[in-house]
Amino acid sequence: MTSLKLVEGFMPMQMLFELALCVALFALTSHLLSKSGKAMPRFWQGILFWVFIVSYLKWRVYPPIPFSVRAMYGFVSLIAVFMWVSSNEEDWKKFKQPIMNVLDANTGFHKALRTMFLIAIPIILWGFSYNSFLPNLDEPVELRTVHPAPPASTKVHGKTFVLQTSQNPFRVNPEGKYDQEYTNARIVEQSMGRLMKGDANPWDEKAEGYLKYVREGGEIFFQNCHFCHGDNLNGRGLHAFAFNPIPANFTDPGTIAQLQETFIFWRVSKGGIGLPNEGFPWASVMPPWEQHLTTDEIWKVVLFEYWHTGYYPRTWD
Amino acid sequence: MGSITRKKTLAVLALSAMIGLLLLPVVAAIPALASGGEAPAAGGPPPDAAKKDGAESEKKVEKARDVYYKTEGIVSGAPAPKTTDGPKDYPRYNFESRVLLWFANQQHLYYGSFVLAVPIFCMVIEFMGVVSKDKAMAKKYDQLAYDFIKISLTAYSLTAILGGILIFTFLTLYPAFFGYLSSIFRPVMHIYALTFVAESGTLYIYYYGWDKMKEGLLKWLHLSMSVILNVIGTVLMFLANSWIGFMMSPAGVDEQGRYLGNIWHVIHTALWNPLNLHRILGNMAFGGGVVAAYAAYRFLSAKNDEERAHYDWMGYIAMSLGVAFLIPLPFAGYWLMREVYAYRQQMGITLMGGLLAWLFIIQATMIGILFLSTNYYLWQALGRMRGGERFQRYIKYFVFILVCGFLVFITPHTMVMTPAELKAMGGQQHPVLGNYGVMSAKNGGINVIITTTVLSFIWYQRGNRMPAVSWAKFGNIFMGVFFFFAYVNIIWLAIYGYFIPANVRVGLSVPQVATTLSTLFFMTALNLSMLKGAKQIGPIEWGKISVRSQYALIMLATAFTWMMGLMGYIRSSVRLFWHVNEIMRDNSPWAYTHTVGFAANMISANVLFFWISIMFVFWLGTLGAKKAPVEVKSPVPGRAPEPAVGH
Repeated sequence: MTSLKLVEGFMPMQMLFELALCVALFALTSHLLSKSGKAMPRFWQGILFWVFIVSYLKWRVYPPIPFSVRAMYGFVSLIAVFMWVSSNEEDWKKFKQPIMNVLDANTGFHKALRTMFLIAIPIILWGFSYNSFLPNLDEPVELRTVHPAPPASTKVHGKTFVLQTSQNPFRVNPEGKYDQEYTNARIVEQSMGRLMKGDANPWDEKAEGYLKYVREGGEIFFQNCHFCHGDNLNGRGLHAFAFNPIPANFTDPGTIAQLQETFIFWRVSKGGIGLPNEGFPWASVMPPWEQHLTTDEIWKVVLFEYWHTGYYPRTWD
Repeated sequence: MGSITRKKTLAVLALSAMIGLLLLPVVAAIPALASGGEAPAAGGPPPDAAKKDGAESEKKVEKARDVYYKTEGIVSGAPAPKTTDGPKDYPRYNFESRVLLWFANQQHLYYGSFVLAVPIFCMVIEFMGVVSKDKAMAKKYDQLAYDFIKISLTAYSLTAILGGILIFTFLTLYPAFFGYLSSIFRPVMHIYALTFVAESGTLYIYYYGWDKMKEGLLKWLHLSMSVILNVIGTVLMFLANSWIGFMMSPAGVDEQGRYLGNIWHVIHTALWNPLNLHRILGNMAFGGGVVAAYAAYRFLSAKNDEERAHYDWMGYIAMSLGVAFLIPLPFAGYWLMREVYAYRQQMGITLMGGLLAWLFIIQATMIGILFLSTNYYLWQALGRMRGGERFQRYIKYFVFILVCGFLVFITPHTMVMTPAELKAMGGQQHPVLGNYGVMSAKNGGINVIITTTVLSFIWYQRGNRMPAVSWAKFGNIFMGVFFFFAYVNIIWLAIYGYFIPANVRVGLSVPQVATTLSTLFFMTALNLSMLKGAKQIGPIEWGKISVRSQYALIMLATAFTWMMGLMGYIRSSVRLFWHVNEIMRDNSPWAYTHTVGFAANMISANVLFFWISIMFVFWLGTLGAKKAPVEVKSPVPGRAPEPAVGH
């Protein structure tokens, strides 16, 4: 399995395609087996398919999926198997048959199985009970609100910014006017990796306006932020793993790509300490950067983050 | 003959006069509504006080700006009270007042939704009966519509009782808040009450006049009465919606909450229309679910094949009507959320990305369960018709597509994990599954689910029939290609959504929805025209459906009820510590948001209570029917099995 890698950028669809392929293969195998008169009982087909899905999620997908999500997926898959095996009366009878046999068939084998279950079930229950009584040294699970709702406005260096309407003063076109379209056309491209556009290089000495501000934002980022957020902005900086949770990954489509620029401005300015009540348990060590950077510097860093990740800030028009 | 015509004319006149009288209060109130009504002065000066002298009255004309419409208006009411925690503003029992109000409100809403939805079904089914050329079918439809309204009648009085309890709970536990709200809505408070009277009157005439008005012109009149009934019911609901709309997105008042004299602004708030649409569709889906569960319950407890056949059919009709309204429901919800974001970004983020985001995952799960149950029911229903088995071997592929859509739809953006898992994963977001956690993927997921449901329905329609039209082959190919490209378009747009700005991505939902809806409308229509004069493989054997299908119907209804409770809670708790958003603060000790666990338990308790009480209502219906004199019916030759009467 290690030789078959999930390709970055294609992973979500790749996973679905792999699963679809496996379903097609299973269906074909089942068809061929039944044609040759060696059909696998429906009961075992259902059980094996479910085991396959659970194993796929556990061992194929990397990095490991948290148990809560695997449990959810596993349960839904179980429902899917039930829907399949009970979709018509004949199949349902076939599926139930082995279970009914264990319950009341009068053969030696089934009697032995019944006895085995009689012994095994209490032991399994005992095992679960025993485990639940063992002292647990793991940290408790935290249901964190990653994007708490922002305030209507925020005050930075004595100036009030209304989050709904404020704009990044450096997101400008050559005429110096606020221009989303112009700046969005100059961010890096997202494809296999993130590639800078040839005519939009902030480190070109002649770069002016928006691109110059991106460069300045980049300099501020690499002087202050990259130690935690990483030089690829993926939340894996030098110090990242000293923290729990690790810093935000800006390259993920679920972070800055979902938010307005003013949200990021507010978060950078106020840091972890400025999180509202619903951000409990405030597990963030990000400093309130308004104590170290000017308002302009914060806006430029935000500009750079969007440029570098290739995401567009959310707008509401 | 002449005397009969005269009698009919008189009946028509009498009925028109009665309806006219019922609607008179509403009509009479319209001028007051148009002029904005009288100034609601909660504790404000009496109107004649202002006339003392000219100079003083000049001073009293104070203008202020509408918080939402930004227009200027004359201040005509007192500001929203600034409450304090104590017996004056928040009198209480030794119990959390909010929970009591929650319970009363939820139960009233469940019953209210049910009794508003059922007359719409009745109207549709009665109409189908009237236009049906097959006499036996016409009678069956008529009987079914009558059965429906019969169930809702007992529920109707319960709704009124629960409404009374709700008002008493408000007055007893939240007097300051209720006083303020009723002062703002004073111009329409009595219209609401009178509309209720009109609704009750029309409903009773509609129900008790059923047998007297069963033929000819009178039948059409009876049918048109159901239209009036539904118009009144809808107005009633819109008015009730305006209160919650005002609480979430107030308008027509200034920053202090003072009424500015324009009642239309107070009613027509930013979220009123999306709420109206969402609630109509939601009520219909819910009502369909409840009636389907009733039919399932009667099917499971049926003593003979005849009863089973009738309740199987009733369950199918109710489920179809419910699902017909369930399909557009996510789109109406999407519009509502879009308007919420447009109104206040904070509110939107609190709902979908922040504090309440976990509840949305539960909601997604419930929506998924609704569609899975529907599909499962349709597949089971293939079993009651000869010829249906030819589709059954493909069901496993449908299951796979549905479940893939479902899994994407329910994947949380922020996963629950232990710190050890978080470290192993290397961050809060999973690089593979994290992509399923955002809107673009979820839109794809739900549209795939709905399109597959449409496909299941088309199969069901074809279950025992083979298209016999000359262009059947071409039609099938066209349909296959249409569905294939619908899936491709939906999935492609879901992927493309990651590469474009958010405002464009939000707009992408339009072509996705259009694709899904076009499969629904065009393909169903195409299928029906292909099935004209189709070759019958065998009859539909009503009653010969698996019991699992009936449990699926019960599951469907329970999921509807649970989801309604959940969404109501989400909508209400998004105001956080405000009674009226940004206008009147909640200063009671319960102005905090409950934990997800507590909310889920509370919703479950409400669902449980509703189902126990509605079972009682169903039982009452059965009791009444047993005592009714047995009607002698002459058999119609060659008719379908007579639906068993016994409610």
